[in-house]
Amino acid sequence: MKRLFITSENLGLLIKSLKKDCDEFIAPKKEHLSDIIFSDTKYSGEELLNYDGNSIVSPRTFLLPQTEALFEIISVKACKFSAIEDKTKRIFYGVRPCDIKAITLTKRFFIDKPVDMCYRQKIERSTFIALACARRCSEKSFCYEMDAGPIAKNGFDLQLTPVSMGYIVDIGSKKGSQIVKKNNKLFNRSSSLDEKEAKDILKGFRKTAKRINYKKLAKIIAQNKVKESIWDDIGLRCVVCSGCVTLCPTCSCFSVMDRLDGDRGVRLRYCDGCVYAGFTKMAGGSAPFPNHKDHIRRFFEHKLNVDVERYGVPSCVGCARCIEACPGNIDIRKFIGAVIEGAE
Amino acid sequence: MKNEYLPKIAVIENIINETSDVKTFTLQLKDKAIGKLKYMPGQFMMLSLPGYGEAPFTFATMPAANGRFQISVKRSGVLTNALHILKEKDAVGIRGPYGNSFPLDRMKNKDILFIAGGIGMAPLRSLAQYVFKNREDYGKIEIIYGCRMSKDIIYKNEIESWRYNPCTEIYLTVDAPDDTWGGTCGVVCAVFPRIKINPKTSIAILCGPPIMIKSAIKDILKLGFRDSNIYASLERYMKCGIGKCGHCYIGDKYVCLDGPNFSYLEMKKLGLDS
Repeated sequence: MKRLFITSENLGLLIKSLKKDCDEFIAPKKEHLSDIIFSDTKYSGEELLNYDGNSIVSPRTFLLPQTEALFEIISVKACKFSAIEDKTKRIFYGVRPCDIKAITLTKRFFIDKPVDMCYRQKIERSTFIALACARRCSEKSFCYEMDAGPIAKNGFDLQLTPVSMGYIVDIGSKKGSQIVKKNNKLFNRSSSLDEKEAKDILKGFRKTAKRINYKKLAKIIAQNKVKESIWDDIGLRCVVCSGCVTLCPTCSCFSVMDRLDGDRGVRLRYCDGCVYAGFTKMAGGSAPFPNHKDHIRRFFEHKLNVDVERYGVPSCVGCARCIEACPGNIDIRKFIGAVIEGAE
Repeated sequence: MKNEYLPKIAVIENIINETSDVKTFTLQLKDKAIGKLKYMPGQFMMLSLPGYGEAPFTFATMPAANGRFQISVKRSGVLTNALHILKEKDAVGIRGPYGNSFPLDRMKNKDILFIAGGIGMAPLRSLAQYVFKNREDYGKIEIIYGCRMSKDIIYKNEIESWRYNPCTEIYLTVDAPDDTWGGTCGVVCAVFPRIKINPKTSIAILCGPPIMIKSAIKDILKLGFRDSNIYASLERYMKCGIGKCGHCYIGDKYVCLDGPNFSYLEMKKLGLDS
């Protein structure tokens, strides 16, 4: 693949040009206490070209917001509904490879038949510009171990890999190559020196980390060979704060409710999570998962086993947000380690 | 682009009070131009009541030429309460059908045992109607229907009429009989010694509360039914019906997409042993 190069200065110009072509430019910016968050910076110009670490919340929130209207209720009395079309054209800039992989997995899930149109119309009108990681974003992250970083393999339209003189640019799709074509003057061919520098990033990760054997891990979980004491321990530590399911870039479970204003209203979906006790409870009162530890267990099983069985890959991308958030110090890396070790 | 969440509008044509807390609603799509809901016995649909949300219900009648179908609803939550207040000519939202049907092909030329508990008779009634309509395609049929009390029995007259079908046995049983009850007493399992069909070659279809399914499977296994010949209709909390909301999955299966009807062989793989 032909690799390109862009200087920081030209990247600034590229962003200016891209902003003209979108309704929302979703990019990293600095919040209070220097936290990085994603926000629409089309008019504010607060976007960061490059940043250290990763954002507190993944860009998932723009594709699967906390609440989202599925359709409009035109009349409660007459039971009339009307579809809503989201025509917003979004450009996501500076998305980390782990989050790019998370979006790829979530997209596959929602576009898998029967198609979720509400998600599809958003994702199809979106453009993704990834920003590869020159170094590990935190000592807790394990993207390389989960095969989700530090450089994205696919799922992006353009990917920028930071090197000392600027950024190496990889084109990942037709949308990406159209951007390059339109802004041709801003790009150069990359030099072998730059390419070596990018390669060294991967080398560095490879030296210090090992890929997790996720197939083996999934098999142990599927065969119910995880020691009960591990689930007990996790159950004991989980205080149902729901930080993990809120911050996980691949979590997508939702519930549905109606919000009315007189005879009109909307049907909303809102983010829900398997860690809540009521998540599987039915109207008649029967609860298939009555124990507290079974709820957080579903979180682990879904990421590391269910999605491996359904899609062939785990839906944990090693971003470590759940580890950072957990007040009970539940650490998915330690869980994976203990499960594999326990089965040997 | 079709929004799968957007319900079609159906009109309540008739309401039958089955018991003190179960009503049967006859529904018909309002706009006949949309066509009929093409469903098979065992599948379900999502019913919408604006302001109350949505809930899954199984079809309680076999697919009819005129497009009418029934659902039987037990009052047990916010939405079902609101549904019970509705009157004829009121409108509701409908989408579906969703999920798999009963194993109609596998059932052909075999003897069939139906085991229903309480409101679990609803999906089995759809199947029974289908089987009796195509009576020559199936072997002997035995239907066991258990309820807590005799006043909880739904479709009483229709079930009595099933007795007139050839090679068909109906067993009704109640847990807590009152003075008017002259039939069998006890849970569905109490009837098992009277089953005449050959367990080794017959198919059993179960629908009812989880506790009934669990104990009934345990007992019919003892009779000699094979794992792969036992099917249960599973009930799970679900919000979308299309495998997206994440509430209903068990193991790697989504009850709304891969179910709700699973063989005991599949159930065991999902960790649902009896």
